[in-house]
This record gives sequence, structure tokens and C-alpha cells, in this order.
Amino acid sequence: MNNHVPPPDEEVSRRLLGTVSYRDRLSAGRLMPPVGMLREDVRSLKELHLLLTPDARSLPGVNLDALAEWVRRTLGDDDLAHIVKNINNSAESYAEACLALFELVGLRLEQARQVLDHTA
Amino acid sequence: MSICGYAGKILRLDLATKAATAIPTEKYRRWGGGHGMGAALFWDLCKDKTITDGRHQANVCCVMTSPLNGTIVPSAGGRCEVVGVGVGMYPISWFTRSGFGGRFSTMLKHAGWDGIVIEGKAEKPVWIDIRNDRVIFRDASGLWGKDTWTTQKEIWQMVGVPRGTKTAWQELARLDKDKKSAKDEGRFTQKPAVLTIGPAGENQTAHACLIHDAGNGAGQGGFGAVWGSKNLKAISVLGTGSIRVADAKSLIRARMVTKEKYVASSERPDFRAWTRLGTLPKPIIQVPPPTKDRRPQSCQGCINGCRTRYNVGYGNESACQETAWYGPYARKVAKNAAENTEINLKAADIVQQYGFNSFVFQTGLHWLEHLYEEGVLGPGRKIPSELPWKEIGTLNFAEKLVHALSTKTDIGKDMADGWVQAAIRWGREKDLETGALQFSYWGWPEHGYDPRAELEWGYGSIMGDRDTNTHCFNQIFTSVSAAFAFAMPIRIEAEEMVNLHARKLSPYAKGRPEVLDFSDGNMYSEAVAQLVRWQQHYCRFWKQSALFCDLKWPDFYNTNTPDLQGATASPDAGEQVFWNAVTGDKLSFEDGIELGRRIWNLDNAIWVLQGRHRDMVHFAPYVYQTKFEKGELFPFYMWPCRDEKGEWKYTDLMGRALDKGKFEEWKTTFYRLEGWNRKTGWPKRSTLEKMDMTFVADALQAAKRLGEEEA
Repeated sequence: MNNHVPPPDEEVSRRLLGTVSYRDRLSAGRLMPPVGMLREDVRSLKELHLLLTPDARSLPGVNLDALAEWVRRTLGDDDLAHIVKNINNSAESYAEACLALFELVGLRLEQARQVLDHTA
Repeated sequence: MSICGYAGKILRLDLATKAATAIPTEKYRRWGGGHGMGAALFWDLCKDKTITDGRHQANVCCVMTSPLNGTIVPSAGGRCEVVGVGVGMYPISWFTRSGFGGRFSTMLKHAGWDGIVIEGKAEKPVWIDIRNDRVIFRDASGLWGKDTWTTQKEIWQMVGVPRGTKTAWQELARLDKDKKSAKDEGRFTQKPAVLTIGPAGENQTAHACLIHDAGNGAGQGGFGAVWGSKNLKAISVLGTGSIRVADAKSLIRARMVTKEKYVASSERPDFRAWTRLGTLPKPIIQVPPPTKDRRPQSCQGCINGCRTRYNVGYGNESACQETAWYGPYARKVAKNAAENTEINLKAADIVQQYGFNSFVFQTGLHWLEHLYEEGVLGPGRKIPSELPWKEIGTLNFAEKLVHALSTKTDIGKDMADGWVQAAIRWGREKDLETGALQFSYWGWPEHGYDPRAELEWGYGSIMGDRDTNTHCFNQIFTSVSAAFAFAMPIRIEAEEMVNLHARKLSPYAKGRPEVLDFSDGNMYSEAVAQLVRWQQHYCRFWKQSALFCDLKWPDFYNTNTPDLQGATASPDAGEQVFWNAVTGDKLSFEDGIELGRRIWNLDNAIWVLQGRHRDMVHFAPYVYQTKFEKGELFPFYMWPCRDEKGEWKYTDLMGRALDKGKFEEWKTTFYRLEGWNRKTGWPKRSTLEKMDMTFVADALQAAKRLGEEEA
């Protein structure tokens, strides 16, 4: 599987580094024993990256189908959405998908920053 | 008096008259300790049991220990129980409970007291200075307004204990400079154990808590507000005594068995059998060894160390919810994971210092954010607030929010009596229907174990007095769900899992694995009612009276033992083994459950006197009207259920709401099993008399609230 993602254009980059409205947030959470399930909605790619950051105490809670759709519709990043979908379909486990997504989202954020740096 | 495990007397404080007297513990021995004794003391001493707000002057607050406190019983020695009428619940603040860890209960017993009963209201703020038998009412005007940490530090200074951790043995008599007596009053090495309120308690706000040391808190119940209403700032205890144990050899043997047989170690291969979320199995997990960044910290006598002290100097001793409440918001401003952690830990310190129960933020802060984002709350809006809502996620916002809610300023003014009360005041009842405000039961927030999925948690909470916060079974959900998340081989298959539990569920559900079947077809069954009964009765005695730690007991299954049998009820290291070794009793595990049933019945009688009727026993509307959407917070909520063929499988419980009519039928079943009247939920004389509680039946009859006998 090729998870290479071409750099976003300037417009997409701006959206990727921005924050969406409250109503456009992605419903998400966290499983943290013994606290339980916590709501941790996401309104930006940066927040998603922090949500997915590996942590010995907890697991991020994301509906991966909904995530791909959110990236496509709300962030307007078809390339990223496509790879999110690929990862969701191919990862051996949910946790592994989250790890791969953490790497991917980190890369995408860096790409977006570079695009905007160059155009500044 | 010398009864093994007990100090022998209970301290009775009348704050109005500044009188300190002793009650012989023997009088309340039949209730075991902790919650049981506290409820019985409340029953005897509270002159008006119809009060529905803990800030009423008639309220009696009991801070109780157990015979196991101050001993080496694992995961029990350092717990402490607080009971009384609470604050901030809805529609009625029930007689309720809270617990905390640390070293307060041990120190109290070493000072010669099995508990403290607090009555009346002091004319001016006071703190209580206990040094063994000496009990001194001291002026707290200089402490009023100070946070919980500053208060403790100043009390340590006022008591005169040398600073630092390298001080040697101190003589109690020498602390009192005016005292000429050379009498040996005993020696100590620790600082006094102080239980105190912060600004939230002083201002009598809902969800104010009691704090001890850096991060031990009696959170739920609003007992900080109860103390504030009594002008009681703090209680400091310094004890130099010890606790007599009936059978030291058996106690040590059981502790050694626990360590050798039931403890999971990070160095043993099965520790991560489920997943990297190495919190399982229960009860006895040793945390990872100290590192250069952190070292584990335990309650008195515990072999765990589930809390942490950090080299950075903040977040110390905070664990569980208080380190997580601000997480979703810290992420909005944190530049990286390290900063995210820093904000979270410092936000934990803020709530500890204000003495504010952060649990209400778990779902409550999302609601406030919702109101702000929907344009309802904020500067110049329908619900005016000058808090810096645009800065949510920063430490500045966290401090200002906690300050407002602790001092009745800004929105804190409207929220001082509770969150549901504030919703009604603001005309936001619909949020309880949509689930925007997920305060599920009695004005308390959903805990993270949704009542639409995890039935014993939700049903247990609504049949009781508060969010139950009893983690007896939900390691099944977390461990199995995590295993599914990692696609790990299932360590214990569903059928074996329920059978392992059923072996321990004596007496009501022994050998009945179906009690754990939370499928749609079984969720309103008699079997689930038996499970909820077992949990309530087990917890009322073993957890809340004997004070075995909720996060470590019961141990139903244990992957360290060849047959996977956990320590609970076992003949070598079960709860009753420790109890009997300390007290010299011959209590069986089932005797403890029966004692828990009596305590539960006494609690229910108090609730009935406060005004409870079955018609008011229902969840917030959203629990019936709004489905727990699949994938809403996590991809699945796995639990053992039987399928249509009767085969056990781990099944996702998301995607459903409760059926109100069927839940009402389930309540009827529950009342029948408890021997309570099915129409009212009030206890029947026949039930109470069988438990030697005629005095309760008489009181209910006098109040015209005794349940009618039924065929």
C-alpha cells in the first residue's frame, strides 16, 4: 500500500492549519481506564494529531470512517481522506491504524506548514 | 476498651458549643466501620432526617475509618469514608458518601479515634487540632480564604512539626511550648494528617470537596460545602498510637499470598496479556518502577503506588479524573504533547487547591463550551459570562473557571446549587433531553461508563444516591475493548469470563453467569437486578465500610493464577481473610454481603425519610430519548452477551437508548428482590425486622413512609 501523499496546495494548507467551526467538529473520545470514556471532540488537524499521540494510559477514540469523511468534507483534503480510508481498510488493528494516522497527520501538518512558509 | 482493629472510640464534635466528646465504638460495632458506622451514627444523631440540602444546620457529617485502616491489609489500609447529606444533587441532595485515600484514617486511628462526627455550626471559622486524646478547637480566621495546600502547610507550621523529610522521631509533648509536663505522650515521624476545604467549600458551592495532602479528595457529595456551612476549615490529626491486630500471623500470611500469587508485576510475562493498557487484571497491580522523572506514591499500607510524584514539581499525587478533565481543551492550545501534559497536570493542581471536584467537568465543561459556541453563553449573551471563553484550553482559563465556580462569581453564581439546577435556571432543560448536558443521575455527570451500555453502573447509580463510581465489573469493558482495539487474541473468552465472575457472586448470583448478560434481550431482567443488588451490597460493606480500595477490589479473575481465579472471597487472601485476621471475627464473605445489605437498607430508609419515592427514581431524559451512537467516543463498547443461540460472545453495546417502560418494570423487580414495596420503593417492616432493624421500621412508620406489605 502506498501512503505517499502529495503536498497540499496553499488553500488546503490554510484549512489544514486552521480551526473549523464548533458545528463542524469531529466527534471523538478517549478510552482511559479507570476514568472511562471521555469526550474529546476535534476541531483541527493539530488537535487530531494530539488526540492520536501514543500514550501509555489511554487509547484515542475515533470513528475512522467518519474521520475520512470529515477530512474530505470539512477540511477539503481529498488526498489525505483517501489515505485515511486506505489505512482504515488495511491496518491489522484499530490501534495500529491510529498509530499510522498519527504519523500521517504529523506529516500532513508539516507539509502544510512548509507550503505556507514558502508562500509567505 | 480494646477490640481488635478498632481504636475504641469515636470523636463527637459539636461545633456550636465547641464540645468534644467520645462515643464508644462498641455501640456501633455491628455496622463494621466506615459507611456502615457513619450511616448508623447519622441515623442516631441527625435530628431532622427530612433535610434535602447538606448545608442545613441539622446535617451531621461523619468521617469514618475501618478496622483495616492503619494495618498492612493491601489496598485497604489508607482509605477513609465520609457520609452525610450532600450538596448539589438533583432533585434532592441525598444522604450520600464519598471516600478518599492517603494517611488521614491511619493517623486518626493512631490518635485513638475510629471516626469523627461533626455536628452544628461554629460561630466563627474553626479548625480542629487533634493530638491523640487532646482535641482543641482553634480559630481559623487566619486560614479562611486560603487554598487547601497553603492551609495544610500553615497548620503543619502552627502545630510546630519540623519541616523537611529528614527529621527524626519527634516527641508529641514537646510540640506544646506552654506545657511543662514531661509526660511521655508518644512519638511520631510524620507531619499531621490534615483534611481541609478550599475556597469552593468556604463559599458552600456545589461539588466542593475535602482535600488531604496534595491529591487525596473526597470528591462527590459536596462535603466541602457541608464543612463550609459549618464554618469548619480543617481537621488536623497527629497520633502516636497503634492498632491491635487479632492474628498478626494470618494477616502477614495473607499479605504474602497476595504479593506472591495475585500481584501482577511489570516484570512478569502475563502483565500485558490483554494490551499495553496495563491496568488489568485487578486488583493488585504494581506500577512501573520509579524513573528519573517520576516515582510512585501510595496510600498508607498499600502495595501499589497508583499516583505519582514528578520531578517537575506539579501534578503530584493527582490521579484518575483530575488529570484528565482539561485534556480535550489543553490540546487546543498546546504546541506539543509535552505542553499538553504540563497544562493537564497544572489544571489538576488548580482543582486540588480550590478544593473543587473536577468530576463535574468531565461532561459539564463540554456543555458550557456548547453553550458558548452556540452563542448562548458569553459576554453580553443570554447567559452572561465575562470568562475568557476564547482562551479555553489555557491555564489562565482553567484558573478563572475554577475560581468563578468556587467563589460564586460569574456563572458560578448560578451554578452554586448544582449543574442541573443551573440548566433549569437558564431554561436549558432541553439539553438534558438531547444529551448536550449528560448529567445522567441525581444531578451527577455520566462517568465515562455510559448507562445505556454498561448497565450495572447506570442502574446502580440511579438506585443509589450518586454516580456509583464502583469499578467492580468494568474492567471487562476496558480490557476486552482494548484487546479488540489491538486485535490481540482474547485472553479470556466471553463464556469463561462470565463463569469466572459468577463463581464469586455469592449469594444472589453465584453460578448465574446470565447476570452479566447486558444484551438487549436481557437488559431488564431479574438476573441483571441480582447483579446490581450484589454490587450495591458488596460495596456498602467491603468497599465502603471495610474500605477495600474501589480500584483494586474485587478481584474476580486473575491471569496470574493457573485457574484464573481472583483473590475475592478466596480462602487464602479474600476480603474476609483480612477482616478476620485484623478483628478476630469469624465473618464469611457472604456475611459481609449481608451486612452490606443492612447498610444499604439503612441508607434507603434515610432516602425515604428525605422524600424518595420510586416515581422520582429515573435517569435524565436523554438516557431514554437519545441513542448512545456507535463510534461516538470510541469505536465499540465490548461486553459479554449471549446471542440468539444462547452462545456467549463479546458484543458491542453501543447504539441503544433505555426503554423507559421496561426500565420501570425492572425497578419493580429490583424492589421485589430487595423486599421493598413495589409501588413506592419504601422498605417493608417484614424486610427490616428480618435484619434486626425494627427501629428503622418504627421510624418510617412514624413518618408514614413505611412500605405496605405485599402478597
